[in-house]
Order: sequence, then C-alpha cells, then structure tokens
Amino acid sequence: MTTIVDIAVSNSDFSTLVAAVSAANLVDALQSPGPFTVFAPTNNAFAKLPGGTITTLLQNIPQLARILTYHVVSGKYYKNDLRECKSLLSLEGSPIDFWVTDEDFEVNNATVIAPDIEAENGIIHVIDTVILMRPHWFHPIMEFGQSQIGEQQPY
Amino acid sequence: MLSALIWLPAIGALITGLVPIKSAKVSAVIVTTIVLILDILLLGQFNLGESNFQFQENLPWLDNLGLNYTLGIDGLSLPLVVLNGLITWLVLCFDREIEERPRLFYVLGLLIHSGVSGAFLSLNTLLFVIFYEIELIPLYLIIAIWGGRKKNYAAIKFLIFTAISGILILAGFLALAWLAPDGLPLFDYNALRLVSLPLQTQVILLLLLLCGFGIKAPFVPFHTWLPDTYVESATPIVMLLGGVVAKLGTYGLFRFCVGLFPDAWSLLAPWLALWAGLGILYGAITAIAQKDIKRMVAYSSIGHMSYILLAAAATTPLSLIGGIAQMVSHGLILALLFDLVGIIEKKVGTRELDVLNGLLNPLRGFPTISALLILGGMASAGIPGMVGFIAEFLVFQGSFSKFPIPTLLAILGTGLTAVYFVILLNRTCFGKLDNNTAYYPKVFRTEQIPALVLTSIVIFLGIQPQWLIRWSETASVQIADRLPAITIVSKTLQK
Amino acid sequence: MPSTLIEPTTKLPPSSHPLADIIHRLERGGSMLPDTPENLMQIIGLYKAYAIPMDFYWRDLLYIAERVFLDPLPAFKYFLPQEYLDLPNHYAGETADLRIWRGYSTAHQELLDFMAKGELKTKIPKLFHHLYHDRINMEFAEECMRAMFWHRNMGGLLEPYMDSEEYKQNADRVIRAYFAGNPIMLGLYRLFPDLFIEQCRRATMYSVLGLFWEVMAPVFLEMSDIYDEGGFQGVPDAMNFLVNGIFAIAGRPIYHRVHIRGEWFDVVPKSKGFTWLYEAAFPYVEAIFYRTSPFRGTKSYNAQAEQVPKDQNDFHYGILYADKFPVASAGIPPTLLHQDMYHFLPKYLVDYYQKFCRGNDDMLIQLAVSFQRSMYNVTSAVIQAGRAAFLYPLDDPNPRHLMANRAYFEGQLSRFSNPKYNMNQAAKILAIQSQDYR
Repeated sequence: MTTIVDIAVSNSDFSTLVAAVSAANLVDALQSPGPFTVFAPTNNAFAKLPGGTITTLLQNIPQLARILTYHVVSGKYYKNDLRECKSLLSLEGSPIDFWVTDEDFEVNNATVIAPDIEAENGIIHVIDTVILMRPHWFHPIMEFGQSQIGEQQPY
Repeated sequence: MLSALIWLPAIGALITGLVPIKSAKVSAVIVTTIVLILDILLLGQFNLGESNFQFQENLPWLDNLGLNYTLGIDGLSLPLVVLNGLITWLVLCFDREIEERPRLFYVLGLLIHSGVSGAFLSLNTLLFVIFYEIELIPLYLIIAIWGGRKKNYAAIKFLIFTAISGILILAGFLALAWLAPDGLPLFDYNALRLVSLPLQTQVILLLLLLCGFGIKAPFVPFHTWLPDTYVESATPIVMLLGGVVAKLGTYGLFRFCVGLFPDAWSLLAPWLALWAGLGILYGAITAIAQKDIKRMVAYSSIGHMSYILLAAAATTPLSLIGGIAQMVSHGLILALLFDLVGIIEKKVGTRELDVLNGLLNPLRGFPTISALLILGGMASAGIPGMVGFIAEFLVFQGSFSKFPIPTLLAILGTGLTAVYFVILLNRTCFGKLDNNTAYYPKVFRTEQIPALVLTSIVIFLGIQPQWLIRWSETASVQIADRLPAITIVSKTLQK
Repeated sequence: MPSTLIEPTTKLPPSSHPLADIIHRLERGGSMLPDTPENLMQIIGLYKAYAIPMDFYWRDLLYIAERVFLDPLPAFKYFLPQEYLDLPNHYAGETADLRIWRGYSTAHQELLDFMAKGELKTKIPKLFHHLYHDRINMEFAEECMRAMFWHRNMGGLLEPYMDSEEYKQNADRVIRAYFAGNPIMLGLYRLFPDLFIEQCRRATMYSVLGLFWEVMAPVFLEMSDIYDEGGFQGVPDAMNFLVNGIFAIAGRPIYHRVHIRGEWFDVVPKSKGFTWLYEAAFPYVEAIFYRTSPFRGTKSYNAQAEQVPKDQNDFHYGILYADKFPVASAGIPPTLLHQDMYHFLPKYLVDYYQKFCRGNDDMLIQLAVSFQRSMYNVTSAVIQAGRAAFLYPLDDPNPRHLMANRAYFEGQLSRFSNPKYNMNQAAKILAIQSQDYR
C-alpha cells in the first residue's frame, strides 16, 4: 500500500499541501509507520486564506510546521470512530473538535469532503478549509453568550 | 469724603439708568472703581490712634425732628465700608452675564451699595434707619427679578422679615429718643451715648433692637428667611447679601446694642453668649444635613454670624476685635464661597451634592474653581493661614475667659464646620467625573477673577492679620471700656 | 456611507442578547463601531497618531529586551541608540519580508522630528527633554508589557514555555553570558536565581510586545495613507483591512534574543514556532484591551469591598472599559499615551476637536474617546478574524453554522453586558454607538 504522502503527491488537488509539507520538512515524519490521521486541506482550502498568510508562513518554517502538525492526529480514526468523540489532541498540542452525524462530518470549522481515505500508515480525511488552532478561550466564549441570554441554542 | 462714598454710587446709579444699555456696565464699573479707590484712600488717611469718630460731617436737616445728616467713621465701620466697596466692585465689574435687563441690575446694585454705606456711616439713629430701609427696596427688586425658581416667594419673605426688623429698630430708636431727658427727640449717636436710662428701660429697648438686628444678621431663630433668600438669589446678589448686607445686623449689634445700652448688655451677656453658642451648633448641624451646596453654604453663614454675637457678648477688647475681624472675614469667605458655588451651578446646572462629582478633574472639570473651593472651605473652617482662623481664634481667645461653656460650644461648631465642608468638598471636587454627563463648559479667566481676588485677600489677611485688626483696636478698647463688669451689674440688680 | 456589508442568504431569528443590534451588525460584516464618516475619520486619525509613537515603542522595547536586558540600573533605557532607530521594520520598506506599508523601514520622520525638538520646539540636550517628560513616554508601553506579563492564562504556548526547564536553561546561559566578568551580579544570581530568571521572563515579554507592535505600526500607517487617498468607504472597510492584516501576519515568529558583546543569544528561539497571532496578538488584546489592572488616580479602589474582582479573569480596566478622564497615571486609561498621540494628530482631527467641548483645552480627552472608538474597531477586527479563522463565513448557507457564529458573537459581546462587578456599566460599547460621546 501507499503512505499518506504518496496519496497526497499523487493527487493534484493537494499540491499546495505537499509543497508546504516538504517546505516544513515533515515528509519523512509522515512517511514513518505512524499511524496518523491526517486532515488534508485541498488547494482550494489554502486558496481561501487571505493573501500573505501563506507567504509569511513559508518564510517561517517552524511556524508553518506548527500549523501543519495541527492537521495531524496520532492514531487511526475513521469517521465512525469520531462519532462519539468530541475532540482529539493534535500533534501540535491543541485539540481538534469534531461534529459527526450521518450526514455531517465536520472538523473544527472545516467540512470533510472525502472521508476515510486509507493509507498504509494512517487515514486521510479531505477537508475544505485549513483549520487553525482554537485558543483555550474559544469554548468558554461560545457558551458565555448563551449563559447570559438564558436560553440554550444548538450550534 | 464720607458723603462721596454714599452719594457717588447714588449719582452713579442715576447716570447708569440714563445711559444706553450697552454702556450701563461701563458706567457701573467706573463708579464702583472710583468708590473702591476712595475706600482705599480712606484706609490710608484713617488715624489709628484716634478714638473718636473721624471724618465727621454734620449738616442740619430737620432739626426739630432731630434728624440731622451726621456722618462719621471709626474702627468698627471702616472695615465694613471697605468690605462693601470691595465686594460691590467684584460683583458689578466682573462679567456675570446678566442678560436680562442689565441696566436695571447695575442701577439697583449701585443703590444697594449707597444705602449700605450710608447705614454704616450714619451717626444719627434716624438717618441709620432711613438708609437701612432704603436699601431694602433695590434688594427686594434685585432678588425678585434675577432670582431662581422660587424668587418671588423668597423676595417677599425677605422683604417681610427685614421690614419687621426695620420697624423694631425704628421703634427702639424712637422710644430711646423720647425717653431721653431733654424733652427734644434725640437721635444723635454721640449724644445718646451719654444718656443713661434706668436698667429696666434699657433691657426692654435692647431686646427690641436685638430682635431687629437679630433678624437682619440673622441669628437663630430669626433665620428662616435666610436659606430661601440666599438659595433663590442669583450669585452676585447673594454675594452682596451674605458678604455685606447681613453685616448691617452685626454692625447694629456692636454700634447700637453694645454702644448705647452697656449696662443692659452686660446683664444679658451670659444668655446672649449661650444663644450664640447654640446658634453656632444649630447652623453647623443643619448645614451637615443639606443636600444642596448653596443651601449648605447658606446654613454655614447662620452658624458663622453667631460667632460675632458671642464676641459681642463677651465684650473683652480682644473678643471685640475678633468680632469685627469675623465680620470682615465672614464677608470675604462667604462671598467667595457663594461665588464659587454659583460658578459651579452655572456650569454644571445643578447644586445637588449627590449629582456633583469629580470637579477637580484637570481637563473636563474646573480645577481652579475646585481648588479655590477647597481653600474657601478650609478658610471657613478656620484652618490657620487664612483669615477665618485669625477671626475665630481672636473670638475664642477673647471669650473663653468670660464664657467658657458657650465658647467651647462655638469651638465644637468650628469642628462641625470642617465636617460639612469635608462632605461638600469630597462630593463635589473629588471622586470620579461622570463619563456620561461631564460636558461642562469651561470657566473663563474673567469669571475666576473675583474668586482669585477674594482668595488672595483671605490668604493675605491670614498671614498678615495686623492689616485686618489694626483698624479696630482703638474702637474695641473704647467699647469695652464703657461696659461695667458683668458681676457688678448683677450685684446692683440684686440690691 | 455605502460599505460592503453582507446580506446573509439564510436568515436567523433576531438575537435576544442585550446588545442584539450590535450582534446583527457584526453578523452582516460590520464593526462594533457604527459606520459613520465621523467615526471613520476619528479612528483613522488616531491610528496615524498611534502608529508614530508606536514606531518608537517597538524599537525601544526590542532595545530593552535585546541590549539593556538585565541591567540593574537601566537609567538610559529610553535613550534609543541610532542603531535601533535605523533597525529595518520587517513589514515596511524595501527589504521587508512582507510589505505592509509603502513607506520606509527606519524610524518615521515625524517621530525623529519630535525627538529632536519635543513639544518645547527647542533643541536642548536629550536629558532635559527626558526629565521634562517632553518625549515619547515609554512608561505606557512598559505598563502594557507588565499587564501582558502579569495576567496569566492568556493562551498560546509561550507562557507554559517560559515555565519550562528548557527556558530556564536558556535564560541561565544568557544571564551568565550577560554578567560575565561581573562577580557581584553573578554572586547575586547564585543567591537568587529565580529573581534573575523572572527578570529574564520580563525581558522576554518586552520582546514579545516589541515584535507585536513592529507589525501594527506599519499597518496603521498604511491605513492612514489609504484614507488620505480616499480609499476607505466606511468603518467596515477599515476593519476588514485589519482582519486581512491579522491573517497575513498571523504566522510571524515570536522570539527573544539578547545581544551580548557582539554575539546573539537565544532565550526563546524562533524554532519554537511561536506565532504572532497566538503568542502575541490574542494575549495582547485580552491583557490590554480588556483587562489590564486598576490604576491609581482620583478614583481609588477598595479590594476588600470587592470593588476589584477576586479573579484576574474578571479584570476589566482596559481601554474598552476605560474612564475617558485621564487620571494622571501611567496605567490604562493611558494618559501618557494620549500625551504621545497628541503630538502626532493629523490636522483634520485637530480641527475637528476644536469644534467640540472645550476645543484645545480638553483635546486629550477627546482624543482618548476617539482612541476608544478606534480600539473598539480593532477589537471588532480581532473578533471577526477569530470568527473567520475558527468558525464560518458570514454568508454560509448552513443555519447551524450561522448559529455558531452568533453564539460566538454573543459570547464576545457578553463581556460588555456582564453585570458582574458592573462591567456592563464600565464598558463603553453603548457610549460609542453615539456620536455625542466625546
């Protein structure tokens, strides 16, 4: 079978990701046995970022690596495995949130457009948005507004 | 010289009334400035060692009525005349933005000045009453026209009270004139001083005059007109009223009550001292309870006038000097406080203690005005270094040996003065300026001048009190000498 | 004034939040600050007035972090050497990594002119300008640094890193190198090692704030230039410029290094991957805009009467809550910053202020209020940037996503309507909705 990196390289939709991963010297890591679960943003996802973001990151490799490792979780997680799981720690160290139902499969604010692509050393879920580390105040803030209004709203 | 002090403003009032509205102010400024210069010249020419009246003028007028135009000045009236000149000058010269009928305002202001000076300078009791009553009419009009919301009520109350005061005084003087031995009605002050009446008659006449002057000053319980009148009057008027006009009451006390009835005075003195002590406490305690800063200052005035009564009751030379000093010091400080309170009211639009806050703020508050208010409050509370301390200390020093308990009450009252001024200053000057409401217009330099002038005098006389008390030393000794020792009188009464 | 506001295709029911109007505005891509030409003029003018002293702040902060470091008697730490005045900004000028401002990379000309002559407009020795406070007041910048340093649990990885063994070893190496040949200080270091390490952490915070402002100064200058050219149509445009700036620069490394005898020593190496957004911007906004600390002034606080929150998380003394009346302290509200900005106000703002309140006499307060407005706009940009980074586009068709956005906005704005410790009364968000608040 092929590694995560091989799958990414073979698909032209991931050219930006591949370029970023090789710039950040993470190719070897992602070729190691792992296993990993990778949330792979497409070229379109990168294109959604405002201009300059990528430029700055490419100038600063450690910072780029940090963003990229946020897209990787140690272990093999299929969509179904994530149903019961609200969040997982990324390799970067910050948690990634999941929202999984029969119809939806969302990772932070990204939607998975192609789940469960299997590789030799892990799983790839293709996402439509580059995900960014949610700061520790994010969840308290999301709940704070409701607590003041006094009514529960789903989100 | 003395006539000039009376008639110059009167003629000035006439001229001011005739010139076009735009030059009314110029005319008033010129007149008051000349009067003030005359006052200062008078200070220079006054003979400190002379115990008699100086610059006497005597013109027969209605001889068979006993009404003569007799003027004179001594160490008692001199400081008050100068005070009158100074405060009128400050009030009329510096822009008060009198928008409504400015010409009439200046005319009335000059007439008041003329009447008050006349009363201070008269050596004929009837002439005194005439001036005393004359000054009422412009005062009534000035309160009723430029006052606050309840100005008509306040003006009428003021008029009724002071008219009664005038009637009582007139009654006292008439009785005195008719009871005089010569048969002819006798109104001449110098002559009256030589008349000696039976003690009982003296006491009755003294009580009449006490009530009359007590209303004017005022002393508790004749004070009820004061808070309303002071609070409803416009700032310049209340400066005149509190600073000068009220001093007519205490002046009358010294001049006529103590001066004409020394025996009766000695008899009543212990009670008067107690009355003064209680009045001081009453004024201070009511002031503490006030929520309106102008009313608070008005009540403080009631308390502070009673110091003068205490000084008069003690009639030691020291206490009398203190009493006269207190008249001047109180006039200066009260005018200063009312001026500042008036500026705050004009700029902020309220006098409520609970609303005012943080006015010391350097950019949006009134730092200078607040700082002066703090100084004024300290002066009024008798903090050393300012004129209030000198006057009160002299009063206490002079009275304590004679009436220890009332003096202690008065000292307590001074302590309470500090209490309500700390409340006032803490609420208005300190704290946090409200972000939502503090868009007050700024205070212009010209508006600050009267307060700055008054403050510099208050501080100067506090550091150099000799300049305040030197005028009245001789007069005080003279008044005190005429009084029999209190114990002696009581003994004669027992016989 | 037409500005690019979004009309979402999917409609949500109206919010029941106390600040619902502002939430709806944020949902349409607006700012917390109402979109009026007057507001736009005020905030842009203030950005310009802020950017120039900021150009000094970041240079001096880096100078203190890198050169003064642990000097026990740093009497001349505000005397910026030419080297730091010429230090090229990484985000301005020809050599920039990413050119945010079209201008030059060295210290701003207006700043240099002011430093030469000061408010006195006379050339006297620098020391006298300094003692007369006729200078850029670094005290304000240091107060900001202290607030960021003091408030813990602000997020980011730097704070845990500063407590790590690795940091202590780095600090130890740098402190030994810095005090090499100084037996007294080395002896003291041996006696009180934690004290020195803590001072080193403080120096790190100097560096963090310096690197943060190095970016903000050119951003604000560029905004001023765009406005002068007629480029912004309204307040949301200005906010969106900031949002884009935040994204563009998010990955800028945050580090701390010290220059000792011609050699650079790393305390916090670039390779740790610390970023501008997570390790500087978010903590900065939280510490400076929201929290800071109760300041000494004409209002005193009684901690025993719980006038000061027990929990640092509840502190609310930042510029968004600030009393506009200066209290003559170096805290927040930053009187000294107002004084600094006063020197660099654009002419249109000076003319504008002269028309209101007391004109020249209270310009410091008027500009403080404008500053408050402009910082509400910056906070809006941070909120919108957070929304874009962690949540969904405003025109997302999925109602669940829009509800999440709303919950986020409501959560952010609840910080201004929180009745705890009367925060809702202290917050100036309602005041800035009106143009009469000056």
